[in-house]
Amino acid sequence: MMEVINEAIAENLAPPVKVSVLGLFTVSEPVIICWVITLLLTVGAYLLTRNLKIVPSKSQVILEASIGGFNNFCEAQLGKHWRPFAPWLGTLFLFLLFSNLLGLIGVMPPTKTLSLTAALALLSMLLIYGSQMRYRGLVGGLLQFSKPLPFMVPFNLLDMFTRPLSLCMRLFGNMMAAHMVMGMIHAVVPLVVPIVFSLYFDLFDGLMQAFVFVFLTLLFTSEGIHDHE
Amino acid sequence: MGELLSGLFAIGAGIAVATGIGAGVGIGIVTGKATEAIARQPEQSGRITTTMLIGCALAETTAIYGLVISLILLPK
Repeated sequence: MMEVINEAIAENLAPPVKVSVLGLFTVSEPVIICWVITLLLTVGAYLLTRNLKIVPSKSQVILEASIGGFNNFCEAQLGKHWRPFAPWLGTLFLFLLFSNLLGLIGVMPPTKTLSLTAALALLSMLLIYGSQMRYRGLVGGLLQFSKPLPFMVPFNLLDMFTRPLSLCMRLFGNMMAAHMVMGMIHAVVPLVVPIVFSLYFDLFDGLMQAFVFVFLTLLFTSEGIHDHE
Repeated sequence: MGELLSGLFAIGAGIAVATGIGAGVGIGIVTGKATEAIARQPEQSGRITTTMLIGCALAETTAIYGLVISLILLPK
């Protein structure tokens, strides 16, 4: 039994498979999966918003309710500057949702590779500190590092690096651990039992981590641009 | 020598995962307090739940760091 478990672990720790695209160049497997997700989301968005009507159809009602709900959620956190952030955060959430839930249908979730989560965390870092500079001006944005008290400056500067690091590691670690545990369960008991565990490790954990990533980005951004007076 | 070293690496990986203890205690406290808060003020349950999720995510971070370090140590 130890052999199958070790095999499952080794499979998860192995570097991603390289795939050749039309014989022109090689990319790793997660990149291809990301392309497919992007394509699906783009086509889906086009098809769903193709002919919007004043009197909405069934799918349009659902669409409007969910977009409106997300917009309200952003507005509650970000205050009056919510408008430019909502589309990016919503897209990020959908992308993370789709890639995390791929584990359910047996495809390797691309968020299980460190490079993807690191890239997303860097984008979040740019968003957080870029918006801080954008809405407070360069000087005001830099002064924000000395809030709430001037001696907090080193900690705030440290935050600039630990925030993206923890965002990146949280997503990577969770997806990696979930996928690895599922692989081990599959190796030991291939029948029935994985269904129960899959509900937690693939479905709940995937949903949760997608939400947490977006919500933490939102929270840090609102901390940078929003005054609580 | 090589076997001893890889054994030590495995022990180190095991110790690194012990960070999960703190995360478990932390998440337990967060969830317990959130339940108390919802029982006290059920109308605020939405806001309490989002705050709880953030608390859980932050408490979980240490466990994830431990996991990542043990993954770094493991294949040696």
